[in-house]
Amino acid sequence: MTDTDRRNGKTLSGLSRHGGGWLIIAIAAPLLGGALLVWQAWTLAAVIGQAIEGGAPIAALGPSVGLILIILLVRAALGAIGDRAGTSAAEVIKTGLRNALFAQLLARSPREAEQAQSGAASSAIIDQVEALDAFFSRYLPAMVGATILPIAFAAIILPLDWLTGLLFLITAPLIPLFMALAGWGAQVATNKQARALSLLNGRFADRLRGLVTLKLFGRAEAETAGIVAASDELRKRTLRVLRIAFLSSAVLEFFAALGVAGVALYIGLSLIEYLNLRSSPMTLELGLFLLLMAPEIYNPLRLLAAHYHDRASAKAAIGEIEAQLGALPKEGPTLADAPVIRNKGALGLAIGNLTLRTPDNARVILAGSSLNVAPGEHIAILGPSGIGKSTLLEAIAGLRLYEGDIALDKLALAEWPEAEVRGRVTMLGQKPRIFAGSMASNIALARPGASLAEIRRAAELAHVAGFADALPDGLDTPLGEGGLGLSGGQAQRIALARIYLRDAGLILLDEPTAHLDAELEQEVLDELKHYARSRTLIITTHSLAVAARMDKAWRIAGETLLPMPLPGRRHGHVA
Amino acid sequence: MKSLLTFRSLFLSQAKGFTLALLLSLVAVAAGVALLGTSGWFITSAALTTAGLAFNLFVPSALVRAFSFVRILARYGERLSGHDATLRLLANLRGWLFARLFPRLPLADRSLRHGDLVSRLTADVDALDTAFLVAIGPIAAALIIGGALTGVLAWLLPSAALVFGICYGTAVLLVPTGLVLASRSTGRDMVHRAAGARAAVLDGIEGHADLTVYGVLGTAQAGFVDTASRLAAAKGRLASFTAVAGFAVQALAALALVGSLWLGLQAFEAGSIDGAVLAGLLLAIMGSFEATNVIVRSVSKLTTAMAAAERLTAIAETPLVVADPAAPAALPDDTTITLSDVTFSYGGPPVLANLDLTVSPGEHVAITGASGGGKSSLLNLLLRLADPQLGSIALGSAALPRLLQADIHASMALLSQDSPLFNDTIRANLLIGRSDADDEALWAALADAGIEEFVRALPNGLDTLLGESGRTVSVGQARRLCLGRVLLSRARILLLDEPTTGLDRTAEVAFFETLHKAAEGRSVIVVTHAAIPEGTMDRVLEMRGGWLN
Repeated sequence: MTDTDRRNGKTLSGLSRHGGGWLIIAIAAPLLGGALLVWQAWTLAAVIGQAIEGGAPIAALGPSVGLILIILLVRAALGAIGDRAGTSAAEVIKTGLRNALFAQLLARSPREAEQAQSGAASSAIIDQVEALDAFFSRYLPAMVGATILPIAFAAIILPLDWLTGLLFLITAPLIPLFMALAGWGAQVATNKQARALSLLNGRFADRLRGLVTLKLFGRAEAETAGIVAASDELRKRTLRVLRIAFLSSAVLEFFAALGVAGVALYIGLSLIEYLNLRSSPMTLELGLFLLLMAPEIYNPLRLLAAHYHDRASAKAAIGEIEAQLGALPKEGPTLADAPVIRNKGALGLAIGNLTLRTPDNARVILAGSSLNVAPGEHIAILGPSGIGKSTLLEAIAGLRLYEGDIALDKLALAEWPEAEVRGRVTMLGQKPRIFAGSMASNIALARPGASLAEIRRAAELAHVAGFADALPDGLDTPLGEGGLGLSGGQAQRIALARIYLRDAGLILLDEPTAHLDAELEQEVLDELKHYARSRTLIITTHSLAVAARMDKAWRIAGETLLPMPLPGRRHGHVA
Repeated sequence: MKSLLTFRSLFLSQAKGFTLALLLSLVAVAAGVALLGTSGWFITSAALTTAGLAFNLFVPSALVRAFSFVRILARYGERLSGHDATLRLLANLRGWLFARLFPRLPLADRSLRHGDLVSRLTADVDALDTAFLVAIGPIAAALIIGGALTGVLAWLLPSAALVFGICYGTAVLLVPTGLVLASRSTGRDMVHRAAGARAAVLDGIEGHADLTVYGVLGTAQAGFVDTASRLAAAKGRLASFTAVAGFAVQALAALALVGSLWLGLQAFEAGSIDGAVLAGLLLAIMGSFEATNVIVRSVSKLTTAMAAAERLTAIAETPLVVADPAAPAALPDDTTITLSDVTFSYGGPPVLANLDLTVSPGEHVAITGASGGGKSSLLNLLLRLADPQLGSIALGSAALPRLLQADIHASMALLSQDSPLFNDTIRANLLIGRSDADDEALWAALADAGIEEFVRALPNGLDTLLGESGRTVSVGQARRLCLGRVLLSRARILLLDEPTTGLDRTAEVAFFETLHKAAEGRSVIVVTHAAIPEGTMDRVLEMRGGWLN
């Protein structure tokens, strides 16, 4: 057992505390059922023994037969209750963990280099967490049962027949030992299998995004073959795990069978009085009781063996979740929406000695740069693509790590409460996300609870209303995820409409008109300039026509920000 | 259930493995029943015997041992062969699904979320394993064992045969059927909600920056908590159904045992059955219900498998938007593109109306016009991702519907507005354009796309990993890498949709100048709203209201 393995095991038992009362019921029900089982076997053996060996009249056996039926039914009910409670316990734990993981994911900065790949992260939160299910709902109750029941059964049998009791007492604890030997390599194999599952899901998520492109390049067959090969790899790894798991339960079955066959032979020999190890003679009643109990002694262990690899899978799943999403949170952070703050006035921006790097730290984007923007000023930032314009905007919006000073209204960005920054600063990124949902709900993303009139107004300002009204459902038209069904320019304008719901004092726009033709670009700018009269506006752009309408323009060149003359308005797009 | 049957041919391809698993499970259960029966009979006769040492101990005790080892080996073999066959089936199923998916792209159903599609291809495929392995096999095995034991009872203890037969049949057939019927809609809910939860996670990650900036992380979290608890509620309801069904089976087993015990005792009193045989039969009945215990748990998964199968067939049986011709024409050498009188709409007002256009081989044409004016739709029609409602499109002398789609795609390469980069190396991303290209060709394509210098400066060069959706590079750089992929392809016609988005004006002008040279000899159709530098295009057309001027 490695350290990681032990740690994963600890994490699991920590999680099981969230199972609460359900888990207690799930564990207690089989124990109670076990106690009733002894009573049931005793009564059944007595009925058969007295009828066959003792020649009792069956009328006298009626109450006992009725008792057997009742015990059987109660045990059936206990079994059902235990199963149901196990599921509830597992669901409570899994849902809590999923929520905590998701909250932890959201609470991190979206631009961190180590932020998880989406396919693998969703696989961790959905599939790997699901892999914990059987550990709580089946393995834990089985484990407690296997620890207590065989010993308890053996203790009951010991005074009735010391040899059988002794046999059970000795063999029962030996079995887990043999199982552990057989399952030695299981954890390693299980971990590999969990990794292969993650890779396969990650691959699916990634490839599905670009299926049309793959099809157009004639890659359909090659991709299909790749998927089959990856699935086959997963099959081999899974089988390797299963082979070990099945082997360890076969080992157990083998010893259990030896035990049962041994007991049967011993009872038989005692009954024909070949063996006389007892002080009193063996009766059919007692013999049948011992025979009925023999498989039951080993049953809790068999059940444990059947769920033994649930534990290995759960440990591997914990390892995989932590690999994708970082250490498991004790409790997920509770996130709150930042309230929309009515524009408290334009924010000034002061940047001094700023150094920015790419997330992987490989490249310096800006070194020791400065920029001052007075409250209410509108400025443009230009520069060739890939030079770092987007990174600069994201740093101002507090999404990226930086060295140096960024201050809003003379207060360092780091000193601002997060909710205040979100309320007073807003940003439109270059690749805004369009969610599956109506146009209106996509716009309202920026302010949940916005009124229809407010959404309508925002749609008009962003020139969304024009094309939306041409559709039969208007703003209620459902949109595909990622803006499927929209042109690039339309998707961008829907995202732009969100800005108008935020009422921010500092507006950061990353190439807001990149997909628009020159005419529409000017119209969109008209509205934007008007809206931003008493707000600070920073736009990155390639369009000189956009830059020409700002108060000042800067450009990024050679890792630094340089002021540049405003392009003449006449030059327009062609410059 | 009907959806499940869609997969029967795939299932039959693994018939050998499944048959082996079924046979072995039959052997295992039979050995288990025989084991208990023999032991009960053996002990009772030993108790009743007066023969003392002359009693034949060794045949029955050898039988007991033999049955137990047969059972162990059969169980091990059954589990291994059954799982192997199932996992092979799942791998084939994924391949089959992909092969069905590709001709149906782009999917007409725009409401299908990315996360939902991922769920279908992973979790839903996995859910199908239970249908074959754990439901059908055990039911078949239990039926055979139950039938056999009923037969034995009819011979040795006729009065109990009916009680046992009815209880057993109800437990194996009626209870599972009832469970499936009762939990159908819950199973469906569960699969849908699981897919919803996955989509919610993907939304959270892919829209993370937007959610953070707009300060709506609380709403996103609340939405996910809601989705996750609805998923848990559906699972809980399914578990309740399963628990009730499990109780029903156990209760039936109790009735069968107690009923047979009572009737057996009467028969014993009447002297019509031997005591040892009775004890053996009663223990065999107890053993026979072992086969029914797994059924309930597996059948509870059957409903989710059925829902998953429905979701899979929904994709696999989406009608083809365009179909290949039965007798395809050969791809003409002539790459003239002719559109005559083409009208196209997505169901609403026409996006393209009575459009005529001819592009000669090697000609470079730019199409400009307002955003949302149908320029991208025109490119889709050329690639035959959709067919126009009126008019025709021809490549050389052949109308597009007469050509294989694969041939059309091989002769045209598209840079779409949302061209993706895959989570792989730069090299692997480029090779999608032409799989046999050597490094020299890759560098040439990167140079033509104006990004050679950037890639050369990377420490790992062509082997740099791009990350998901190319997030380690800027939007403009990602665009150029996609362009490089298009230029690398062997297609003789290039279709470029807004190739200069994310480029500054200097780079934009340079791009058009490079394209002019790099695509010499190839036909080019560029859709753009950029101003076209003088002399870089043979023709510039403007699209307005579905017309070309």
